[in-house]
Amino acid sequence: MTELPPRRLAPKATWVWRLQQGLAWGLAVIVVLVIAPELDLPGWLVLIPLGGLVLAVTVAPTLRWRSWRWDVQPEAIEIRRGVLRIRHTVVPMLRVQHVDTTSDILAQAFNLASVEIHTAADSHTIPLLRGRDAEEVRARIAALADES
Amino acid sequence: MSPEARRLHRAAIGVYVLKTLRDAALPLVIIVLLSLLRGGFDAGGLVRGAIYGAIGVVAAAITGWWRWDTTRWWVDGNGIHKRSGLFTTKQTDIPWSRMQALDLQQGIVQRWFDVHSVHVQTGGGGAQGEIVLEAIWDEELQGLRDMVAARGGTVGAVADAGTRRLTRGALVLAALTAGQLGVIVPVLAATAQLSQAVLGDEAEEDALRLIPDSGGEVLLAAAVLLGAAWLLSVAGAVIAFAGFRITRDGERVRIRRGLFEHRETTILVDRIRAVVIVEGLLRRPFGLAELEMEVIGHAKEQAVAQTLFPLLRRAEVGAFLEQLLPERADDIDRLQVLPRRALRRYVLPPGVLALAVAAGAWPFVGFWGVFLVPLAALHGLARFRAAGWRLADGRLVVRRLMLARTTVLAPAALRESVTLGQSVLQRRGRLADLSVAFGKRTRARVHHLDADAADEAFDRLA
Repeated sequence: MTELPPRRLAPKATWVWRLQQGLAWGLAVIVVLVIAPELDLPGWLVLIPLGGLVLAVTVAPTLRWRSWRWDVQPEAIEIRRGVLRIRHTVVPMLRVQHVDTTSDILAQAFNLASVEIHTAADSHTIPLLRGRDAEEVRARIAALADES
Repeated sequence: MSPEARRLHRAAIGVYVLKTLRDAALPLVIIVLLSLLRGGFDAGGLVRGAIYGAIGVVAAAITGWWRWDTTRWWVDGNGIHKRSGLFTTKQTDIPWSRMQALDLQQGIVQRWFDVHSVHVQTGGGGAQGEIVLEAIWDEELQGLRDMVAARGGTVGAVADAGTRRLTRGALVLAALTAGQLGVIVPVLAATAQLSQAVLGDEAEEDALRLIPDSGGEVLLAAAVLLGAAWLLSVAGAVIAFAGFRITRDGERVRIRRGLFEHRETTILVDRIRAVVIVEGLLRRPFGLAELEMEVIGHAKEQAVAQTLFPLLRRAEVGAFLEQLLPERADDIDRLQVLPRRALRRYVLPPGVLALAVAAGAWPFVGFWGVFLVPLAALHGLARFRAAGWRLADGRLVVRRLMLARTTVLAPAALRESVTLGQSVLQRRGRLADLSVAFGKRTRARVHHLDADAADEAFDRLA
């Protein structure tokens, strides 16, 4: 694979993922615990969401954070992510139509925000940067897109 | 053409009335059908329905006339203008320099009065023009075209560099092989379910009795459903593509089509990002293909608006593009094939998936499910053999097979984004995936190509 883009996400991003995924898997554990006796399903089935929960709050967010790299250059935006399957995307600056920053409640709690880059074909996200960084990146992409 | 404000032809009233009635028709039909099905539809109900209908028509006619009466359009030194509105007035102005096309449409009303509906297009894209003149005379259209031509534009003049028509025979063939079954079958199934839900309990019991309970009945029901879907698809294709004609006109292509409603659309060649050759399941054995295009700004238009030509022989594609769209023409054969080691990645996963499905379906269909396995593996083999790509002279060609075989032709410079993907297993096999987006509908994808070749292509495209 080609060279790594140098920039990373905010370190606190791991805590947002931990909470998001932990809540989802925790809910799955509760659902299986409630439903399994009703449907006469074997009790060990709960181990599947429980395993997911353990992974989601321990190593998965760290691995995910390490795999995320990005960069904004005058000609293009580069995004590289994925643990088991690495995906490296390049969006030419010339094609950027508009750029947003978004922040849900969890991200806001950690003062983080995501940058969404829209082209005529699709959109690409650089998630969970520090709030001020995200604003700067958005402004920079908008300025570069305007020039190109 | 004088600059004073003028009215549209009175046929516009008919257009407005029809539109209002058409918008109101579906809810009305549903209400009538519901009362009919619930058995509450007696002679009194019929009279009430007729009275409501008549009131609706009169109201639509009055608002239609009022709308026509308050609509004015005019042209002057700056451009074309339209002002309309019943309660809130809206005025749209398009400067001559922004005008990119005058598209014509002739619906039933316009054909009756021998007038045209003109869509004035700017760079914003979309089939609906920024100004729509619902009904104007021939002389006014000619005057408008002359004015545009006089201002240095080529919008009005037709410099015919080449035309291709869909013959009647080809239309019939295109309709018979229109591969839209995949879309229509679920729609029919959903309609059947909906009507069952609407019919209520008694009818549901009737419907339950109708549900096939033997294998033969299931097959028969499926055949009937498929037949109905196929007939719908044939009728849809005939209505959409009758009289299809494409003309190259300077920097634009003009496309005219439609059985009941004639539509003429103008598309700037620059806006055509990619051409896609689609060889559908029913067409490929006969060497036939449909040409589609990815037009920037047309993503929300219906699929037929993305058709460059409904049906032609695959062998003719090169000559067709050279004549009408040389900017996007390329050799669709002599592609780079995938490395031999990619074969098992095409064959094994669908084979294993089919095995799992067969195992799961064993209690219901028994041994027959096992036949899925070789079918899935053969499809994987066909996908491996069909896949190919070439990146040369700044042009990208990518071919892949799902059910239809599609070949994307596009200048590499028009890509919207490029993605290189590699899973852990692919890394071991020195393979990678390459995906290049050209628009909302068009993404050129090659799975399992040689990792070094993918890297090199990615660097050239990035």
